[in-house]
Amino acid sequence: MKKVLEVILLLLLLVVTHAKGTRYSPPGKPALTRCRSPEKETFTCWWEPGSDGGLPTTYALYYRKESSDTVFECPDYRTAGENSCFFNKNDTSIWVNYNITVVATNALGRTFSDPVDIDVVYIVKPNPPEQVAVTVMEDKGWPFIRVSWEPPHKADTRSGWITLIYEIRVKLEEENDWEMHLAGQQKMFNIFSLRSGGKYLVQVRCKPDHGYWSEWSPSSYVKVPDYFHREKSVWILITVFCAFIFLILTWLLHMNSRSLKHFLLPPVPGPKIKGFDKQLLKNGKSEEVFSALVATDFPPKSSNYEDLLVEYLEVYIPEEQELMLEKSMDLDVGCLKCEGSASDSDSGRGSCDSHTLLMHKCDGVKEEEERQAKEAHGPGYWECGLSNKQPHLLHPQAQAQRQLQARSDDNISSIGRKQTPAGLHSPARRSTEYVEVERVNEEDMVLLQPVSGRCGDVEGYPEMPYGEDYSKVKGVDMDNMLLLQREVREETENCDTSSTVTTTQKPAACIHSAMPVEGEMVLGVNGYVDTATVCTPPTY
Amino acid sequence: MAHRETNGSKLFITVLCMVAACSAVPINDLLDRASQRSDMLHSLSTTLTKDLSNHVPPVGWTMMPRPPLCHTSSLQTPNDKEQALQLSESDLMSLARSLLQAWQDPLVDLSNSANSLLHPSQSSISNKIRELQEHSKSLGDGLDILSGKMGPAAQAISSLPYRGSNDIGEDNISKLTNFHFLLSCFRRDSHKIDSFLKVLRCRAAKVQPEMC
Repeated sequence: MKKVLEVILLLLLLVVTHAKGTRYSPPGKPALTRCRSPEKETFTCWWEPGSDGGLPTTYALYYRKESSDTVFECPDYRTAGENSCFFNKNDTSIWVNYNITVVATNALGRTFSDPVDIDVVYIVKPNPPEQVAVTVMEDKGWPFIRVSWEPPHKADTRSGWITLIYEIRVKLEEENDWEMHLAGQQKMFNIFSLRSGGKYLVQVRCKPDHGYWSEWSPSSYVKVPDYFHREKSVWILITVFCAFIFLILTWLLHMNSRSLKHFLLPPVPGPKIKGFDKQLLKNGKSEEVFSALVATDFPPKSSNYEDLLVEYLEVYIPEEQELMLEKSMDLDVGCLKCEGSASDSDSGRGSCDSHTLLMHKCDGVKEEEERQAKEAHGPGYWECGLSNKQPHLLHPQAQAQRQLQARSDDNISSIGRKQTPAGLHSPARRSTEYVEVERVNEEDMVLLQPVSGRCGDVEGYPEMPYGEDYSKVKGVDMDNMLLLQREVREETENCDTSSTVTTTQKPAACIHSAMPVEGEMVLGVNGYVDTATVCTPPTY
Repeated sequence: MAHRETNGSKLFITVLCMVAACSAVPINDLLDRASQRSDMLHSLSTTLTKDLSNHVPPVGWTMMPRPPLCHTSSLQTPNDKEQALQLSESDLMSLARSLLQAWQDPLVDLSNSANSLLHPSQSSISNKIRELQEHSKSLGDGLDILSGKMGPAAQAISSLPYRGSNDIGEDNISKLTNFHFLLSCFRRDSHKIDSFLKVLRCRAAKVQPEMC
């Protein structure tokens, strides 16, 4: 009975265990994950355990050194934590190959991991740099960050056993991108180009010359002060912009300065009054200067105002003389032209229409012309071709005739106006002229008649008419009587068939009005008087 | 007599000039340059072994009952920091030079066998081995100059014979395995040289702590 009970209990146990569903197995294969040495003096290996097979499993690390068959077990399982093995200085040999294996053991069996060969010098990974200090410094008003640190205290860099190089990374607090800087072997680094008022994070890490990078040091925070006000920058921009515009305006003003000056300050027009004649001033004769200012013909006395407006005096020139005249054509016409002053039309010169000025100018210029050679003068000269022609320029025959013509015309015009222009004095001076008394009108004025009209053609040789028909007037006595001169003439060339008085006797009937004043003078009785004229009633 | 005196004085002047010229570059600077070159040498060997093991894992090695020793293992080198720091400058320099000298011939063999190596990145490997040879040569020259300044003890070189190309096998697998093995030995030895020179550099630059 008891044996049956024991068998039933064992069977129950087996059933129960099977019912629970657990399976026991030998442990799974562990794996060495990594081995690291922080300073090339010690090292640590970590492994990853496999499945434990449901049973408590123990792990053991065994190693074998190169060129030795002795197997050692890990001296320290605790220092480095769970599933680790720490080799201290005594157990660490460098430049020696370690063959390491991890063994997992449980109740059901043992499992070996894959062996790993390591050399300590190749697995160096230092600790992060320590005492990272970040300060803000200034360089000529611009701030920068100075980062300084110390190598990890375990790494022996002083003896040269480990050579470390460092790397820094910086970023703004609110951003994600890091800025990396390789610092080499130095333990200090400057960072420039910072944002004003920004908050930065700084981290440092190190690496041995042939090894792995360390972890990053914990972040160090630093705040950069405000060194550039945004408001100021706006004001600076505005100032620069205004200065630029001001410069452009100044330049534009400078370019257009002349036209602007004309617009604001227009030029003063010249005087419209004739003023002093510069030529006379230069000559130095004050009388002439002042007399030039006097306008003797103003106001004009003539009833014929139309004559004042005459610009041209028409000259009849026979065809033979035209060729001669062509030489000095410009001289003829020039006299009548106005002096063309190109500079200002507002000048106060007298108008060209003034007859007085014409004559006056002709007088003044005549002397000049005499001095000059026979050349055509420029338009600036007043030239008188009609009344005062230079005798040496023309053929003497034509000249005299022309003069005669001109003067006769002048005489007509002058008589018509009843003026005594200065120009007429000259022809009177030049040669004696005879006028025929036509009649005496009611106003006690003697109307004269030109000689040429009476004589007819004067194309022949011009001769002074000494004809017997005419009596020389000796003078006028105080009773307004013409005193005629008695003459005895042999030759008689009569143009007219008017009564020719050849004898000294004359009918006194016609002359009975004439009263003798003086004894020596015979009034018209013995002298010759034209009967046609004498027989007119006396003036008084 | 006068002739000899002039000769002697000339010699003296030339020696003085040479000494002055040689000491123109300070030892600190020379050591710094040497350690930089050894650093480059080691980095190159590290990348080379990684390139090699990327495509072909060294399976043959684990098959061996015991991995063979490097031909330079007979040289007594420090095993930890205390031992290394106790060495004198002359000893450190001597060790470095010995190690470097020991690898001149093996590098030639490696270079030769790299041409016939069946590996995906065979061309880059052979290029790098050639670079290794060049760097090794220039470093050797620099160390010769340095040791000349440091005294006769520094100039002593331990000879480490290399057995030759007998170790490199016939078939490709064994070729690769041996190749890998040699390169790993060279990697270690270049690390030793680098470490020794850096310790020497730090010792010489007492005035400039930032060198260390």
